[in-house]
Amino acid sequence: MRALRRFFNRLIFWTKVQQDEDRLQAEIEEHLALQTAENVRVGLSPTEARRQAVLKFGAVESIREDYRAQKGLPFLETLIQDTRYALRRLRKSPAFTITTVLTLALGIGATTSIFTLVHAVIMRSLPVANPAELYRLGKESRCCYWGGYSQNEEFSLVSYDLYKYFRDNTKGFAELAAFGASCDLFGVRRSGGSEAAQGYPGEFVSGNYFRMFGVSAHAGRVLTPSDDRAGAPPVAVMSYRLWEQRYASDQSVIGSVFNLDDKPFTVVGITPPGFFGDTLRNDPPDFFLPLAAENDDLNKPDTHWLDLIGRIRPSTGPASIEAEMRVELKQWLRSHWGEMIANDRAKFPEQTLYLSPGGAGITSMREQYQHWLQILMMVTALVLLIVCANVANLILVRGLERRRQTALNMALGAQASRLVRQALTESMLLSLLGGAAGLAIAFAGTRLILHYAFPPFRGMTGVPISASPSMPVLLFAFAASLVTGIGFGVAPAWMAARVDPIEALRGASRSTARTGSLPRKTLVVFQAALSLVLLSASGLLTAALYHLETQDFGFDQERRIVVNFDPRLAGYRPEQFTPLYQRIRDSLSSIPGVSAAALCIYSPLSGNNWGAVVWVDGHPHPGPKDEAFVSWDRVTQGYFHVIGNPIIRGRGISEQDTASSRHVAVINEAFARKFFKNEDPIGRQFGRDEMGARQYEVVGIAKDARYLTFGFDQPIGPFFFLPEAQHDFSPNAEQTEVSPSSHLLHDIVIVTRPGASLRFAQVRQAMASVDPNLPIVWIRTLKEQVAGQFRQQRLIARLTSFFGVLSLVLASIGMYGVTAYNAGRRVNEIGVRMALGADRGHVIALILRGAFALILFGLLIGLPLTFAAGRFLGSQLYGFNTYDPLVTFVAVVTLGLSALAASLIPAFRASFISPLEALRAE
Amino acid sequence: MKEKADVLQGTLALMVLKTLNVLGSLHGYGIARRIEQISGDLLSVNQGTLYPVLLKLEQEGSIASEWGASENNRRARFYRLTRDGRKQLQAETRGWEQTAAIIGRFFAAKAEDFQ
Repeated sequence: MRALRRFFNRLIFWTKVQQDEDRLQAEIEEHLALQTAENVRVGLSPTEARRQAVLKFGAVESIREDYRAQKGLPFLETLIQDTRYALRRLRKSPAFTITTVLTLALGIGATTSIFTLVHAVIMRSLPVANPAELYRLGKESRCCYWGGYSQNEEFSLVSYDLYKYFRDNTKGFAELAAFGASCDLFGVRRSGGSEAAQGYPGEFVSGNYFRMFGVSAHAGRVLTPSDDRAGAPPVAVMSYRLWEQRYASDQSVIGSVFNLDDKPFTVVGITPPGFFGDTLRNDPPDFFLPLAAENDDLNKPDTHWLDLIGRIRPSTGPASIEAEMRVELKQWLRSHWGEMIANDRAKFPEQTLYLSPGGAGITSMREQYQHWLQILMMVTALVLLIVCANVANLILVRGLERRRQTALNMALGAQASRLVRQALTESMLLSLLGGAAGLAIAFAGTRLILHYAFPPFRGMTGVPISASPSMPVLLFAFAASLVTGIGFGVAPAWMAARVDPIEALRGASRSTARTGSLPRKTLVVFQAALSLVLLSASGLLTAALYHLETQDFGFDQERRIVVNFDPRLAGYRPEQFTPLYQRIRDSLSSIPGVSAAALCIYSPLSGNNWGAVVWVDGHPHPGPKDEAFVSWDRVTQGYFHVIGNPIIRGRGISEQDTASSRHVAVINEAFARKFFKNEDPIGRQFGRDEMGARQYEVVGIAKDARYLTFGFDQPIGPFFFLPEAQHDFSPNAEQTEVSPSSHLLHDIVIVTRPGASLRFAQVRQAMASVDPNLPIVWIRTLKEQVAGQFRQQRLIARLTSFFGVLSLVLASIGMYGVTAYNAGRRVNEIGVRMALGADRGHVIALILRGAFALILFGLLIGLPLTFAAGRFLGSQLYGFNTYDPLVTFVAVVTLGLSALAASLIPAFRASFISPLEALRAE
Repeated sequence: MKEKADVLQGTLALMVLKTLNVLGSLHGYGIARRIEQISGDLLSVNQGTLYPVLLKLEQEGSIASEWGASENNRRARFYRLTRDGRKQLQAETRGWEQTAAIIGRFFAAKAEDFQ
């Protein structure tokens, strides 16, 4: 306490320096006067009295110094002194300062910008009240539907019925909310408005969703449980983003009616600005609708499509709630025993569930990007290390140039610790300047990365990640600067203190080549090793990307355009679909230059798929352990020709496949291999799900084509195609249609004639001529669609390559610096050698030999590290070999060539040394 | 010649506090004189050493100072004990007495006491 008070007083005293000097002076004067008077009183002469008084008082100057040390803050004072001194020195060498600060800014900026993403995606909680109290169902995030009464590994998606059961029986939750696991597009049109419907994402949430998050409306009100009841007037809450960017924060939006998929909803409120729902994603929901307004899956107890997040009561722990819910799950499943199929019953004993912390919401994005971000974080950390090494090198050179001055300082009695502190102050100052500049680079870099990784969608800002630095990011940048400053400052500082005054003062030209160059050589070796790692990592990623992009997709990307639309948004009923598709195909085909058009649910690599369990005629019914789950698509006639997917045997889907004809299917090669090993599939039958084994007759085999957007390291899986015109009915008494929504084909593929050019406007015109109200969600070429799949990989490969080249440049500069410096210091030696008969080639070889020894060391250290890096990249290479010898070879050669280029210049310069001049300089 | 004892800084501070406690407000010279008188010139201390100690005590809040007029009517800085200083003095006095008592007991001890 007293020490603290003293510190503050010292701070205050320190600010009034002059005043205190005067005070001490006055006190001393007074003291001496009194003592003199006293001495006079005892009989001394005035002169002697004064002399005795001064003697008795002691050395005034030393007391004054003591007083000053007592008074102020010597540490702070020297710090300020050192800082002033360092600033002055930096100002005196602007080229050095600017180079260093820029290099540092690049390193710190790159690291900070990646950290901004890491923080937003991996570390940040949802912007809601007390996120630590939130728990969610499930260990991993799952999408989006799960049918039946059993789930593999964990029960993590629930039906509305099961949600209500959990909500009403689990006592440990203060509030348990449910929301759709998928966030679908709705065709949105403001009631009374004239514009065509626009697609916006919307999410069904339970009435207590906002109350559970502790989020209140920015304007109007949020949803309440009374909105989430059968028969309640349909209401919706709009996102702040949509309200601000599309409706200019118009107050009249609240209370007005919006048609979502042709159903009227009254917007009752706007979410607060930072709120983006339960999941960090590229395209957060713009409408929050009550669960009760959903009418496809709401009342199906075996359709699981909801995620759960709950706020636990402070008194309870998640473990006890988990145990409670496991019992409830079993009870609920048992109450549906009658509806369960044999598979579900067999899996009943192993059904369980897990709770996990839900403060970050559904973390699908974290799971998706974690490894990427780790890679980038590592890469930028390596770049930062190289930057440190480079700057350390620059400072070492400065330190060596200042040896004489340092030696003089020491000879005059400067403390070694003070010299070290001075050197460290200078490097800290540089790194803080670099950090400040780095923040600007980080801001720009993050924006750029966000723009490429998550391009704005429909003209609105996409992913809710802000590029502007938050408090943790600022702290990170500051910490990074400090660590960097210490990192590159320690070695030069240590060197500075080790200067031997006599040695240095004797003359720089006399020192041998060896002294002082070891730390610098170590740094170059270290840089070479690190850049080799970065080069080979970027090589591996680029090669893997190349393999991904140039693989045989099984379809033709050239001359193909994909149009995504949604006829439901224009009010079309399922029974109108088939004729509509015919009209669309006719209209598009009549555009000049268009060869043909066809529709499908999902065009290749469009990001989604439909799955089914397959039962082949003549085979036993697939059991729970059989892997009979395959993907399928529904297409119109002519589809295979339009997409350029060759039919290997039999035929594709054609006009002869009508509603009344035999139900047929076209399978891919993988399907044939898996289910008809050595048999001829043509003419054989199979069915899907519970429809029996004789639903479809195989009429053709298509070449394997990549449809799924995951598992790129796996071979293409089994796939089958069904004709649009044929509807499937379950074999039971009611004859209900199976998956009627699979007849909603939203992708139109257009193929143009070779050489013909087609503008998107022509496509829009042709679509409008079918029905002006038909909303087109997007149009893009198939090539763009495929390339879009590899956006992340491309971004990572490019960023890593950029950092790799950056590190190469930095390492080359380091190499150049060391070689040039060493050559410069060996001028005498070279002069002597040349005088003794060494020719120019010898000199060049001499210098190059030194340089290449360093590179060799770098390679020796770097090569094992590149293998480690390959292992670390691992799964991100999509099956591409992690030890690609070619990539390593190219990296080694690139590094070698750059090193050669960097050391040739000083080597040549050294070879032009005139022996006479060199020796004269002695 | 009598041997003079070195004075530890902390001891000097304690002497200053005690002097001010007994005599009230006093200037630097007065304090120095008083310490000299009481210690009977046994202490070898340059009078100037006192001033850094006074400053430290003032920063710690044990004493306060103000300008006043000295005996010969010159401007002098007068120091006085604050309430904190009084408490500190009491605490340190107790500490000293304890230490002195313990050391005293050790010196009084005879060989047989250790058996």
